[in-house]
Amino acid sequence: MDPQALENDALAAVATAASTDEIERVRVEYLGRKSELKLALREVRDRETGTALNALRERLEGAIDGREAELARAELDRQLTEDVVDVTLPGEEFQLGTLHPTTLTRRIIEDAFLGLGYEVIDDREVETVHYNFDQLAFAPTHPSRSHRDTFFVDDERLLRTETSPSQIHVMEAKQPPIYMVSLGRVYRRDEITATRFPIFHQFEGLAVDRSLTLADLKGTLLHVMRALFGEQRQVRFRTHFFPFTEPSMEPDVSCPICDMRGCRTCKFTGWIELGGSGMVDPEVLTNVGIEPEEWTGFAFGCGIERSAQLRHGISEIRPFWENDLRTLRQF
Amino acid sequence: MRVPLSWLRDYVAVGMPLDELASRLDVSTAVVAAVEHRGVPDLDGNLALFRIGKVLEAGKHPDADRLQLCVVDVGEAEPYQIVCGAWNFGVGATVAVALPGAELPGGLVLERRTLRGKESAGMILSERELQLGEDHLGIIVLDDGEAGTPLADVLPIHDVVLDLEITGNRPDLLSVYGVAREVAALFRLDLEPPPGMDPAREGDETVKVTVEDWEGCPRYVGRLFRDVRIGPSPAWLRARLNAAGMRPISNVVDVTNYVMLGLGNPLHAFDYETLADGEIVVRRARADERTLRTLDGVERALDPSDLMIADAKRAVAFAGIMGGEETEISDTTTHVLLEAANFEPTGLWRTSERLRLPTEGSNRWVKGVDPYLAEHAAALATELIVKLTGGHWVGHTDARAQLPERPVVRFRPERASAFIGLEVDSEEQHDILARLGNERRDGEYLVPSWRARDLWREVDLIEEIARFRLADVPFTLPVRREMMGRLSRFQRLRRQVEDALVALGCSEVYTPSLVESDSADDALRLQEPISVELAVMRTALLPSLVDAARQNADAGNERIALFEIARVYLPRRDELPEERVRVAGILEGGFLHTKGVVEALLRVLHVDANWMRSEHPLLHPGKAARIEAGVVGELHPTQLDGVWGAFELDLDTLFARVPERIVYEDVLTYPAVLQDIAVAVREEVEVGALVDTAREAAGPLLREAKVFDVYRGEQVGEGRKSVALHLSFQSSERTLTDEEAAEARGRIVEALVDRFDAALRA
Repeated sequence: MDPQALENDALAAVATAASTDEIERVRVEYLGRKSELKLALREVRDRETGTALNALRERLEGAIDGREAELARAELDRQLTEDVVDVTLPGEEFQLGTLHPTTLTRRIIEDAFLGLGYEVIDDREVETVHYNFDQLAFAPTHPSRSHRDTFFVDDERLLRTETSPSQIHVMEAKQPPIYMVSLGRVYRRDEITATRFPIFHQFEGLAVDRSLTLADLKGTLLHVMRALFGEQRQVRFRTHFFPFTEPSMEPDVSCPICDMRGCRTCKFTGWIELGGSGMVDPEVLTNVGIEPEEWTGFAFGCGIERSAQLRHGISEIRPFWENDLRTLRQF
Repeated sequence: MRVPLSWLRDYVAVGMPLDELASRLDVSTAVVAAVEHRGVPDLDGNLALFRIGKVLEAGKHPDADRLQLCVVDVGEAEPYQIVCGAWNFGVGATVAVALPGAELPGGLVLERRTLRGKESAGMILSERELQLGEDHLGIIVLDDGEAGTPLADVLPIHDVVLDLEITGNRPDLLSVYGVAREVAALFRLDLEPPPGMDPAREGDETVKVTVEDWEGCPRYVGRLFRDVRIGPSPAWLRARLNAAGMRPISNVVDVTNYVMLGLGNPLHAFDYETLADGEIVVRRARADERTLRTLDGVERALDPSDLMIADAKRAVAFAGIMGGEETEISDTTTHVLLEAANFEPTGLWRTSERLRLPTEGSNRWVKGVDPYLAEHAAALATELIVKLTGGHWVGHTDARAQLPERPVVRFRPERASAFIGLEVDSEEQHDILARLGNERRDGEYLVPSWRARDLWREVDLIEEIARFRLADVPFTLPVRREMMGRLSRFQRLRRQVEDALVALGCSEVYTPSLVESDSADDALRLQEPISVELAVMRTALLPSLVDAARQNADAGNERIALFEIARVYLPRRDELPEERVRVAGILEGGFLHTKGVVEALLRVLHVDANWMRSEHPLLHPGKAARIEAGVVGELHPTQLDGVWGAFELDLDTLFARVPERIVYEDVLTYPAVLQDIAVAVREEVEVGALVDTAREAAGPLLREAKVFDVYRGEQVGEGRKSVALHLSFQSSERTLTDEEAAEARGRIVEALVDRFDAALRA
């Protein structure tokens, strides 16, 4: 046997093998049990020849393995190019639910306040006249005390008309500093219309600390409005009146629908009135045993549905309570 | 409050652009709900085409019975011939004329035209054509005036009305003069003194006024007028009332309304001859006084707490709210008793609430009217009554208690700056307060009587500074200290529940907490619901969710799966109800589908539940289960078409079972030994009992036991089933030997055979 000729023949055969079947036949021919090389190895008697033939065997094995891997990969590639899926077909469907827009908005508000270091409060909805009106310094003649405006269960018990009784509960429970936001359902005796429902959700922030200012209130509201409606929003204030704050102001936010270019939502004024705010009235602080010369505070509140309406461009209140999946599945 | 600028200008020289006026008021004073332009368009010299005319000739149109042919002097070289359809005037009358080319309210431009053969150059005008009022039966007849005088000099033919939303703390702004005072302060303008000057009294008759209830009525000015001629008010007064939103009625009544709108003090006028003994008594209603017919024709019940105006015999008016029909001013009234009083808010509010009768007057009283205002109001009314009705003022009484002192308030400018967060120069602060009528006395201020209810503490004066400089206040954030913002455990877990249910395919809904009826008989019921559907505070969420599911099904929606997290209100006799937060769900599919969703939710929370057969009125009697936190089951088929599952769980109960933290266990180092067993048991044996027994028998080595097949068939036999369990034995300390696992398995089999007469099948 001429090892050099054998190697040349074998490598030529490897190079010309065109499929994994062919390379397998080459392997059998040159390295199989009955191959010339195997027979020669079996008959080797001297060390030098043995070493040379084993080296040859290893070279041939390497060449065959290498070629086989190449061919196998080429065959796989050919096969895969034929295994095609229409990627535009829909995937297997998993049913997903959705959070209600009121919850989505509630979370944005909660997170904005958490970031400012506020606690989140979830408080009772059936209240007493004491907490809903008296402690909040509502005048005895304030229209909200009327049975026309408020749902009463009896002369003492009523459905809270705003989240503000939470202010009293929290201030009674602990001394300042207090930073909290209360969120939940409130009730007003309004007829049901396209834009009003007698049950809705409110959020109300309260801060009581040393030397809080009206400027701090403005800055805090700006932060929350931007969290709700985008970083470009502006906020302005107008003088107003609420029994439990003094001074009291209504904040306006620049219209997130038209970005102040003027639209139906903002009645072409560029501004949208949103809730109420003010510095906590000293009478309210005194009512809960907090000294108003030492501590000042601010509070502000706003409807959650109303915020959600502005976030999502919902012009009516109806979609929030009719719970139609065609609506809900958009969120 | 509707404020016509033409009226406002009587008291303050408003010269700034309208936008500036409106936006300044909007920011510092009250919401400007609307800026309304009324009357004749004010452009291109249009107003100059409206003039006072003198009728020189008037007579029937030769070819039209209903038309009058007039010749009118309008201040030009030649008089104008005008055809007119009205007949309430004649030669010599002073009238309002629009010349050809004039644009009327609504856009009509007058042209010379020929009516039945006669040229008509212009129009003789009625109130309605000028948008001054609704009266169009006749043309306006003016008292006097020189021909050719611009009509705008005597009538507000073009006007702007500001519609202000006055807040409850500012009753001083419920008058044109009050708004003028505010505008003067905001823009640093001079303010005219309040209108009204008492004319000379023409008699000294006694006006009998007895106030029995000084608390309810601290002041009562009564004035008597003789020989009054009731008739329509002049055009200027009618125009002002109309612009301010009140309908003119007759001169005396119009004067009372005019003074209320102008100065803010509601007045009332009685027909003097209808008052028994001509006497006024202010007192509470008597127990034997049942009803009073008010001037709107309604018979209204009296309550002993109502403050009444009475004569010598009977109640004749609800004080400050509405007068009685019998004593009201009529066309034949000749003697008038004028009331300029002051009433206390709270009692009057109660009466007005009970009667459900808010009026222009009561709206002012309940917010508090300055008791010092009564004399100005009486003066203005007296001046006008004498001038407009030809009546004689012959009697006067001012019954008054000790009127409240004006508050004196300490004020520190540096505290104001610190509170606002804006450095405002102290001189500027003093100037603002002075312009608003506060009188400075050392470190204190004497508050004006018209603000006495609103300004009585330092913070109230600080508000005055703040609102004048509101736009300049910067946006800052509090200096942070001791602020620890984080969700409570409940709030965090609640979000987890919401997110898990969404991931499990359920969509969140919000249903009303008020329902038509509730399964609890003692559920809280509203005293005055707005509808039968929203009348009772619910004690369960599920019925609302069934409704929501039904509406979705009716709408044709598919794969319905809904959940809600909300409060229920569990009654506790006279106390406030116990409010519990629950999660409820409703979804298409059978019992095991719903149970699967609830189990997944429990896995998210790491809560183990104990499932027990149960009953619930809304659930299928054979497919209802209870766990610690609530109910889970298949919906009763009478509730909805199709197969539905439902659950309602109490969140606090559920969350009490959530572990505080998850403790790590090494489950990889020592592998588990897995074994399956199948046992045949009687049909009625619950698989839950088999699993519980297996756990108990095997002890802590049994890490998991899970039912994976239930089989019924011939091999098992009638009335029996085969239950197959995956068992997983594991120790966290060592690898279990086959013997240990086999021994534990043996104990399980023994216990199952023992307790349930089970037959081991594999």
